[in-house]
Amino acid sequence: MTVKFADVKTGDALPPYTTLPLTRTDLVRYAGASGDFNPLHHDNTFVNVFGMERVIAHGMLIMGIAGEAITAWIENKNLRKFNVRFAGMTEPADFNDLEGTSKRATITVTGRVTEKFEENGEKKIRCEIIAKDALDSVKLTGFFIAALS
Amino acid sequence: MADKSKLGYEFPVRILAVEKGKIAEFAMAVSQKDSPEKLNPIYADAGAAKKAGYPGIVIPPTFPTCLMFWTQGGLMGVVNSLGINLGRLLHGEEEYEYFGSVCADDVLTGKMRVADMYDKEKKDKPGKFMKFTVLETEMRNQRGELVLKARSTLLER
Repeated sequence: MTVKFADVKTGDALPPYTTLPLTRTDLVRYAGASGDFNPLHHDNTFVNVFGMERVIAHGMLIMGIAGEAITAWIENKNLRKFNVRFAGMTEPADFNDLEGTSKRATITVTGRVTEKFEENGEKKIRCEIIAKDALDSVKLTGFFIAALS
Repeated sequence: MADKSKLGYEFPVRILAVEKGKIAEFAMAVSQKDSPEKLNPIYADAGAAKKAGYPGIVIPPTFPTCLMFWTQGGLMGVVNSLGINLGRLLHGEEEYEYFGSVCADDVLTGKMRVADMYDKEKKDKPGKFMKFTVLETEMRNQRGELVLKARSTLLER
């Protein structure tokens, strides 16, 4: 259902969106899709050189997930601006310890409408967003602006 | 560390043909879906996309990142021309402004330039600085229409 400008109030929540625990396979899939083959995201021998224990997810994968969360609520064509600031790294779940590692790899995106305004003849909303893992560690914060009819 | 003389540098023009298969692959990667049939149909089915008011299969919001990675030597091309150490590279911030739909079979031409370079002292380590590089990219379609602007802030830890 299309979200209408008149039906949105300041303070309204973006419907929360939660991923499955991110795995190394998700990271490899994103590397191939985006073309970002920085070995930081798939090669443990590379990250070890820089003193890190394991690979981390692409920040842009987390932003992509936030984009999914947004367009599950607002239509893609209504998006006018999308900004994020990366706040923390995301380590994937380890298959040999799923119970102990899934929470750090499960991302939930939430948000809240902070402003309704008119600009260039369009009715717009501004919504602040935040992505956290299930241990409450912040991955990114940001906002989007959408034009609604 | 990033070479400050690169402030204002304009990278060679980047051209990306927006392919239907690439859109589906990207949409699957950000939604953890293992087949195109499970996607929001606007990312995989031209008929459904048109019905939903798009000129064709449309790109997901962060798809423009592909322009950086699939053209002109990708990430290494950018990192090398700026003198950034890959192992110290972090992505600080990313912003997209959308001016029009980008669909399968469009051809994007991107002009990327180094918009800013600055240092910021680390909060936990006085006297130590993080180096920031801001890249701005304008993307036009095959009709010359400005469809997207991207702003990426890279930093070296």
